[in-house]
Amino acid sequence: MIDMDWTFDNWLPLLILLTSLGPGIVIFMLPEERIQWRTALNLGGSIAKLVLIGIMIWGVRHGHVYEIRFPLLQSIEFVLSADTMSVMMIALSGFLWFFTTLYAIAYLEKSPQSRSRFFGFFSLCVSSTVGIALSGNLVTFLMFYEMLTLSTYPLVVHRGTRKSMQAGRIYIIYTFVGGAFFLLGVAWLKSVFGSVEFTEGGILGNYIGTHAFQLRIIFFLMIAGLGVKAALVPFHGWLPRAMVAPAPVSALLHAVAVVKAGAFGIVRVVYDVYGIETCHALGLLLPLSLMASFTIIYGSVRALSQDELKKRLAFSTVSQVSYIALGAAIFGPIATIGGIVHIVHQGLMKITLFFCAGNFAETLEVHHISEMDGIGRRMPLTMAAFTIGALGMIGVPPVAGFISKWYLGMGALAAGKSWIIAVLIASSFLNAAYFLPIIHRGWFREPAGPWPAEKIFSRRETHLMLLVPPLVTALFALLAGLLADAPFSPLEWARLIAEREYRP
Amino acid sequence: MTPPDSIIFILILAAIIGLPLVVGLGLVITRWQSLLIQIAPWTALPALAAVLWMPVGHTYPVPWLLLKALLGIDATGRLFLMFTSALWFLSGLYAQGYLASDSLRGRFFIYFQLSMSGNFGLILSQDVISFYVFFALMSFASYGLVVHTGDANALRAGRVYIYLVVIGELLIFTAFLLLAFSTNSLLLQDYRFIRPKDITVILLLVGFGIKAGALPVHIWLPLAHPAAPTPASAVLSGAMIKAGLLGWLRFLPLGVIAMPEWGTLCIVAGLAAAYYAVVAGIPQQNPKTVLAYSSISQMGLITVGVGLSLGWPKVAPMVLPAVSIYAIHHGFAKGVLFLGVGAASATRGHGAQRLLVLAGVMVAAFSLAGAPFSSGAVAKIMLKEPLGMLHMNWIGGLSILLLLAAIGTTFLMARFIFLVINKTALHGRLLPSMWLSWAVLILLSSIVVWFLPETHMPTSKALQVTYIWQALWPLAAGILISAVVWIGSIRKKWHCPIRIPEGDLISIAPAVKNIANKAASAGRLHVNLPGRPGRFLYPNADWRLIQKSVRTIESRLVNWQTAGLLFIILIGLIFLWSGIF
Repeated sequence: MIDMDWTFDNWLPLLILLTSLGPGIVIFMLPEERIQWRTALNLGGSIAKLVLIGIMIWGVRHGHVYEIRFPLLQSIEFVLSADTMSVMMIALSGFLWFFTTLYAIAYLEKSPQSRSRFFGFFSLCVSSTVGIALSGNLVTFLMFYEMLTLSTYPLVVHRGTRKSMQAGRIYIIYTFVGGAFFLLGVAWLKSVFGSVEFTEGGILGNYIGTHAFQLRIIFFLMIAGLGVKAALVPFHGWLPRAMVAPAPVSALLHAVAVVKAGAFGIVRVVYDVYGIETCHALGLLLPLSLMASFTIIYGSVRALSQDELKKRLAFSTVSQVSYIALGAAIFGPIATIGGIVHIVHQGLMKITLFFCAGNFAETLEVHHISEMDGIGRRMPLTMAAFTIGALGMIGVPPVAGFISKWYLGMGALAAGKSWIIAVLIASSFLNAAYFLPIIHRGWFREPAGPWPAEKIFSRRETHLMLLVPPLVTALFALLAGLLADAPFSPLEWARLIAEREYRP
Repeated sequence: MTPPDSIIFILILAAIIGLPLVVGLGLVITRWQSLLIQIAPWTALPALAAVLWMPVGHTYPVPWLLLKALLGIDATGRLFLMFTSALWFLSGLYAQGYLASDSLRGRFFIYFQLSMSGNFGLILSQDVISFYVFFALMSFASYGLVVHTGDANALRAGRVYIYLVVIGELLIFTAFLLLAFSTNSLLLQDYRFIRPKDITVILLLVGFGIKAGALPVHIWLPLAHPAAPTPASAVLSGAMIKAGLLGWLRFLPLGVIAMPEWGTLCIVAGLAAAYYAVVAGIPQQNPKTVLAYSSISQMGLITVGVGLSLGWPKVAPMVLPAVSIYAIHHGFAKGVLFLGVGAASATRGHGAQRLLVLAGVMVAAFSLAGAPFSSGAVAKIMLKEPLGMLHMNWIGGLSILLLLAAIGTTFLMARFIFLVINKTALHGRLLPSMWLSWAVLILLSSIVVWFLPETHMPTSKALQVTYIWQALWPLAAGILISAVVWIGSIRKKWHCPIRIPEGDLISIAPAVKNIANKAASAGRLHVNLPGRPGRFLYPNADWRLIQKSVRTIESRLVNWQTAGLLFIILIGLIFLWSGIF
């Protein structure tokens, strides 16, 4: 394998990984005060990554195979390869990483903690996400999955306060225990069935008759492991606490890095390890859909009672990420589209909301919903972006969330599972109940008094680099729904994925 | 069918929806506000132009938009677009004057423009997704119109309104899923020909009924219409509630599939609304509230028409045009009346001007009551005529009830005029833009119906003695009753025996809440149900019991040993259930 013919197509996955891993390592070695160097490395890396991802999207669309593999141990291979699903995930992470980097540079401008440490681990975190997206087999996936845990811990505890250290401790316990479950599942699978390669349509279809029991146990071991990061109830406890992290970290954590890694893992296991038809035949989909549905409702109910904005958003993430698992748990290509496209849609909407929450906190020291009266007059653009994100979460068209809900609903009907419609409706109603009051406060209430601690920016409502990222992501959340039928839209890509997963 | 010069027409359709939208979004920028407010009403003109010159019956696919959007103007859409765009245009001009000294008029026009765009868009939509998008845009944006003044009444109205909007959106979302799934199509034209499930029909009737002010989900109307600024009430009552009607016309298999049970239900609910709203409207003290109840009553009569077409397809070719004509008549007349309330309060104490304004209000009031030669008479005759084609034993009764409803309307209008004369305080000035746009609306309201090809009633027929008599006697009876009541109230100090608060049924909510709270405290539970007046749903303080128990669960779950154990138990149960062990 080593002596294979090395072409650009082999190198591309590795290059994409290195565009964040390389700068990350260099940044660790940079002295704290070299701000320009650090910024140049961060932005240069993320722009280079975006360009390379662009090439890859084009290539995958035109039938190129991007793959690099070499053996780690006997019979265990390290594989990076790009299929339609990984391309969607790296496109999302590359795009959001760029804007989060911009945002983080402005956000941490006056931070007393080490910014080299922050941006170093930040780059590692994104590299892990890219690695997870590009992994070609479960073993590689597992490596990057654990690397993600290790690289996000320093980000969660970045502020160093007692509260954040505690949150970090809980985070690390949850994720390591989850990781152990996952490892157990992967090792079991590997030892019994040999191959753990991700393959469209799955690889375990032939063992249904002989190994049904083992397959079921392994499935739930892996779901438990992945469910921790995907914040499936009852494994979600760490997520609302981890929101003590700085806003760009929360944004990335909730939109693309940690919870998405879990959700993406579930999607991989269901579609590319077991195969959706195998899962269906083994009766694994009903328990998964029950878990996901329960999480969707439970997260929303919890979100209702939070006054702290970031905490409400965190519980909303618990709920919304399970739409992805729900899509995977309904048998049929339409629901698959709904679940997979929500990976992108939820990412765009949720990152917008966290950026906005960060702007309110950073500009006005507003952390609670009860302090948000009339905030739309002081920060109209941020509040407009927030409104788009929130309406999208509720499922109000034409924001992207509506498209996900439509496909999930159609998929549920096609699969003969009308009860899922009731879950979707209840969830939308609850989303409306906890997002609309915020919108009402922001736009229609009179400000109660002076803001807790206001920073004045002469011409704009806040720092330009804090303002642009939420506006751009909100715009994309809107366009992803409004132009859902356009070429290269998330929906179009999800259709392509679903088509390949169900190909006979 | 796509005609060859489709690009031009797609651009026109884009302008109809896009111009109001772009101006509305531009208004967000404070510097542009004074200029854009001047432009705002004129963005309704592409729609008016399209009504006059665009060919009807073609659809135009818009590439990339949503899930392959399909737009176009069909015959029904043209009628709706006609009165809707005229109302938005004239109310917009009126609003420029009405809000001239309102510091928040920029914000008002943002929501005004967005609602306008949504209202036009849903009329042009020929596929379910676009329809849903524009319906949502209109419904959510008009929240900003309802709560504009920001006082306690407006906030309460807004809260009730947004609750019902969300519920309505979810109901029609479900109905749309079911329709799209059972037909395997997103195009409206395909929904007409297959029999929908009963659940779909219920969802459509209630979901759109909320918008149309159908009983008993009408409760937002008498709260929202008086709370909103007058020009917003005019478009709410004249144009936007008709979107609910259009929803019925678009998504129910009217005229194709007979569903007599559902048709009967519509007829009963419609008649109930027509009469109930008179009873609930008479004791009201605010002229705009009386108008809101009158809208519920008139929409009830229109619902009867929908019910007839739903139950007995053979009358649909006659009834459906009548329904559209009725919507046009009511839209214009109600617009005149709402704007008239504003005009009357602006001219209080200006003798001659005020008499003119009252005369204008009278014209529309008589028209609504169905006076001979008015648009109301035409609409009512058209609605009643097809009854002759049906031979059920209750048809005679229905036709008498429809006639008698006119007495109620007259009574309600008399009450309205009494309140306008006596209960309006001086407010603002009648600027030229206001009385000009109002005068044009009065003109349109009187003549448009006569010139529509859908009015398949020769003028001579309207002049026949029988028809004049049919229109005249309920009117005379209504005036007589009003006069007796009026004289009685002066000479004999008659009082209305009942007091009905605005929004009638919603006012039992606190009582229900009290009972629930009492029952709960008897059971030593401390529940505080949501819905206190003047407070937007903010659940932090509410639902304490649920929240407390959920928090307890949460704190247990966060303990990861518990979480792990639970998961293992869960999986065990699942396996037991699927019979593995």
